[in-house]
Amino acid sequence: MTRILLRRLVLGVATVGCIYTLTFLLVIALPGNPLQHGDRALPREVEQALRVRYDMDDNWLYFWQFLRGAARLDFGPSFTYLDWTCGQIIAEALPVSVSLGVLAMLIATAVGVAAGTLSAVRRRGKIDAAILGCTLLGVSLPTFVTGSALLALFAVRWKLAPVGGWGTPAQMVLPAITLSLPFMAYITRLTRVGMLDVLGSDFVRTAVAKGLSPFAVITRHALPAALLPVVSYLGPATAQAMTGSFVVEKVFGVPGLGQHFVNAALNRDAGLVLSTVLVFSTLLVTLNVAVDLLYAWLDPRITEAA
Amino acid sequence: MIRVLVIVLLVLLAGVSALVGWDRGGLRADFRYVNTSDIHTLDPARMSWMQDFRVALNLWEGLTTSDPVTAEPRAGAAEFPPRVSEDGRTYTFTIREDARWSNGDAVTAEDFVRGWRRAIEPGSAGDYAFLITEYIAGAEEYAAWRREEVEVLSALWRARAGQGIDGHQVRALRRNRGFQQTQRDLQQADPQAFLVPLSHEATRHIRLDSLHGVQLAAHAERFDKEWSGVGVTARDPKTLEVRLRRPCPYFLDLTASPVYLPIHESIEKLRERYAETPLTAQGLVVYDPQWTKPDYHAKGYPGLTTNGVYRLADWRFKRRARMVVNEYHPLANAVKCRTIDMLVFDDMNAALVAYEAGDVDFIPGVEVSYDHEIARLGRSGRRPDFVPCPVLATFYLNFNCAGETVDGVVNPFRDARVRRAFTLATDRRSLVEEVMRRGDRVATTFVPPGGMPGYESPRGLSRDVAEARSLLAAAGFAGGAGMPPVELLHVAADQRVCQALARMWETTLGVRVHLRVQESKTFAAARAARQFMVARGNWYADYLDPGTFLDCLVTGNGNNDSGYSSPEYDRLMAAAHAAVDRAERMRWLAEAERLVVEDAPVLPLWHYVQTLAIRPGVRGLHPNPRMRFSFRDVVIAP
Repeated sequence: MTRILLRRLVLGVATVGCIYTLTFLLVIALPGNPLQHGDRALPREVEQALRVRYDMDDNWLYFWQFLRGAARLDFGPSFTYLDWTCGQIIAEALPVSVSLGVLAMLIATAVGVAAGTLSAVRRRGKIDAAILGCTLLGVSLPTFVTGSALLALFAVRWKLAPVGGWGTPAQMVLPAITLSLPFMAYITRLTRVGMLDVLGSDFVRTAVAKGLSPFAVITRHALPAALLPVVSYLGPATAQAMTGSFVVEKVFGVPGLGQHFVNAALNRDAGLVLSTVLVFSTLLVTLNVAVDLLYAWLDPRITEAA
Repeated sequence: MIRVLVIVLLVLLAGVSALVGWDRGGLRADFRYVNTSDIHTLDPARMSWMQDFRVALNLWEGLTTSDPVTAEPRAGAAEFPPRVSEDGRTYTFTIREDARWSNGDAVTAEDFVRGWRRAIEPGSAGDYAFLITEYIAGAEEYAAWRREEVEVLSALWRARAGQGIDGHQVRALRRNRGFQQTQRDLQQADPQAFLVPLSHEATRHIRLDSLHGVQLAAHAERFDKEWSGVGVTARDPKTLEVRLRRPCPYFLDLTASPVYLPIHESIEKLRERYAETPLTAQGLVVYDPQWTKPDYHAKGYPGLTTNGVYRLADWRFKRRARMVVNEYHPLANAVKCRTIDMLVFDDMNAALVAYEAGDVDFIPGVEVSYDHEIARLGRSGRRPDFVPCPVLATFYLNFNCAGETVDGVVNPFRDARVRRAFTLATDRRSLVEEVMRRGDRVATTFVPPGGMPGYESPRGLSRDVAEARSLLAAAGFAGGAGMPPVELLHVAADQRVCQALARMWETTLGVRVHLRVQESKTFAAARAARQFMVARGNWYADYLDPGTFLDCLVTGNGNNDSGYSSPEYDRLMAAAHAAVDRAERMRWLAEAERLVVEDAPVLPLWHYVQTLAIRPGVRGLHPNPRMRFSFRDVVIAP
């Protein structure tokens, strides 16, 4: 277990390092001036002073300085939002993205596992067909469609939820549901498949033969085994939910990190691009390691294989 | 096992609610308006976005302010009008006795000097520094001196850190007389210390720490003396004397703009200092960028202090900025809207939904993909809350007048006849009315007509296809034969209008048009490098004078994207700038613009008409040509 952990950690650090270097190369290769805002040409003298101030003339120096700062969680200034440091921007936005992502995954997992189990147990029935139909919709409808639809119905038509923004629990509900839908659909399908597999296996038949109630058989014996594929999916999915919420953030006006991920690149805000990439990749790698560990714990055979 | 999973989930849920940090004290503000993307900066010296100006001009008050209806100057923190000398070059402002900062301090002439100096100092200056350097006597010279010194100091600083300096910096060192003197002085004291020819290798052996230190100290000593040559003087705490480089009939309009705002003395607590100097090691004037935060208290800083009708109470990044009435302001008691929320909506669609749901009161400029529908609803009277707002701004095309070739292809637009032909072949009315349909005003001149007091625009070129064809033939491209494909460089937002233009030119002139769409930053770089034949452009007036547009076409101007260069035009503009009499100035400017029509370096297409969404019941918000909205007059009907 410790050896796996160590190996994963070393690999993780190497991965983040590679991502950082690649991003850095892309950032300096991109055309466009991060210091210029809007349509107006930046006066040469102002640009020159700013380049001195931000140490922008020496890429190599910037590469190391940024990394050294990042190790101390100091990501330097943003070139777009001059009054904020990248650290402040991330500190404001990351909790939003993380809580939105976690909440979405909680909803997705709870509903998805329940629906998947139900669908497997009632295999080929009407419920199964209905659930499968819904998952098809959930996987194929993009979030800007479902989000706008939910917004139009619940917020504008029925006034049951606020139209957007962030800060109150009510404002979290619609975005979290919207974000959860595709994951929910996927989890439902994974659970259903896993469950169908397990339901036909010997130990389940034994459990039924022992006279356990169907509920007990499913929750206590079948579900843990059936959930393995779901668990391995949860890691990358959670990371994706936290980092890929750009569209949902836009539709609902949620001040998360996803928007910076996209806008920083458009603004050529080198500091913000590098810091969001570092934060996101670290998050992704960490979650994957966590899932590997969880997986090894759920199914000891994995450890032997490694 | 299931139980363990459930526990994990519950822990996560608890974690979420701990993370979110619910807004406390979230009382609904009296007035809520929308800002797309957050404030880029609240530093008046560095801001360049209209939405930032809007916040700044409600938080601070300049010597003058803009009238909310006409945009003409009116009284601000100083008595109005100020005393102006006979030659129009010296303005004497008297700061109002009751002008107060949000902490109760009296506003002084010194606060203005501080603000203006910051606005042109390398390190704190921004895009609009030119509004000061071009007008105030001695300001340009001071800024140039400072820039040169900064170059020397940063070269020495780099060399000292062992980072090496490039040829450019070495030349800067050799040029700099102060540096030469420093070297001589030091060598006298310690003959072994220095190697004068500064090569890459040599710098390593110099005792650069002392060299840099001595140079910086010498510079810091002259720093304030040099500034005294600039035409801004606080005669006494309430009297500010301003000397201009040249007469400027619109100076009182300039003093209402953000770069001319006063800055409270508390900012000095956050100045970055190297050793004993008021400068950084590179000689820059730099303040901790956190100074614009109301709740920042490092080094005894009291938080952002402003002198406008409002003060900043709270600013949460990408969420909202809350302004509340500055109780010390003379008008504080008369203001009806005591709290203002600027809400950030990154997506205008989301903002519009919030507006329709009654969550926001005001959207300054609805820009969505269906904005023509919004504009139509407003014009037809079905939604009188969508108010058209004609703006002093022009959407136009730049013709590349300078480059001989573009991407290896001969550039036909160097020939004024070709530019005129393309202008004459363009049916602007159909672009505005059938393609864009937003109710913009058709433009035939670069300067929006009727917007500049005292200015009479010349007649622009209107559509004349026959004339266009014969001009093109005269330039050697009869029927488009021999004409290389015309590259029309634009950004994604202009796709519709550019497609229409391409078709228009192809059918009338027989030329081929290639549409080249670029992402906006890439576009800006390509346009600045003049890698285009025809490129989109837009320009918003910075002040109420045609010069704000026409200066862009002067030879060598940083915003002269088309590379237009005409000695005659430059002469006319210089004559306009030298004129003391306003009417005379306007005559020169009109003469200059007539030349622009003639030479057609730019093809004006329309003057923008924005659509404001003002919730019914909100009074005191007026459409105005520069979209500067002052919230102090806003009244909300119960």
